[in-house]
Amino acid sequence: MDSMNDSLSASSDPKTAIIRQIQQEAAINNARQLIDKMNNHCFQKCVPTPGSSLSKKEETCFKLCMEKYMSAWNTVSRQYISRIQRSSAGGNGGFGL
Amino acid sequence: MDLSSASASQLDFSKLSDYEKRELQQNLQNEMQKAKIQESVHNLTDICWTKCVTKGISSGTLDRTEESCTQNCVERFLDANEAVLKHLEEMRGQGGV
Repeated sequence: MDSMNDSLSASSDPKTAIIRQIQQEAAINNARQLIDKMNNHCFQKCVPTPGSSLSKKEETCFKLCMEKYMSAWNTVSRQYISRIQRSSAGGNGGFGL
Repeated sequence: MDLSSASASQLDFSKLSDYEKRELQQNLQNEMQKAKIQESVHNLTDICWTKCVTKGISSGTLDRTEESCTQNCVERFLDANEAVLKHLEEMRGQGGV
């Protein structure tokens, strides 16, 4: 990841640079994680018996499945964050995963 | 995040004032918390997708049943998590563990 090291040394403020790098890394990590899980789940759903190539039907299924997985991700995210907010508002800080 | 510690060695933190150091630490903590929440969302989406999206993929969005199943799934999983912790606590109190 040379581009990151470049952006690090280019910035004169080490504080901003390190935060920016960590944010970038977290974003990459997040995307990778999503792609990984999406691929696993959608493969399971859309390719029950693998043929010699991906069929048109399987490809279409993948597209829909990806959109569906992302909307599931968003639903979970909304619900989880509202739960955290509720439990911290109620003085019950005992959530944890 | 081992990459951040690797790049940290390239940065000169001795120039930072105590205030800046505290600010940086706060920023880092925020980023870590964000990453932790995202990690949990990935994990929950994984679990709740398996539980709630049981039919074939016919659209790119969650239908109403899947949506409410997913919301319940998040809430109940976290309830279960709390119940486990609570019971462990009780067992410890009884000298069971």
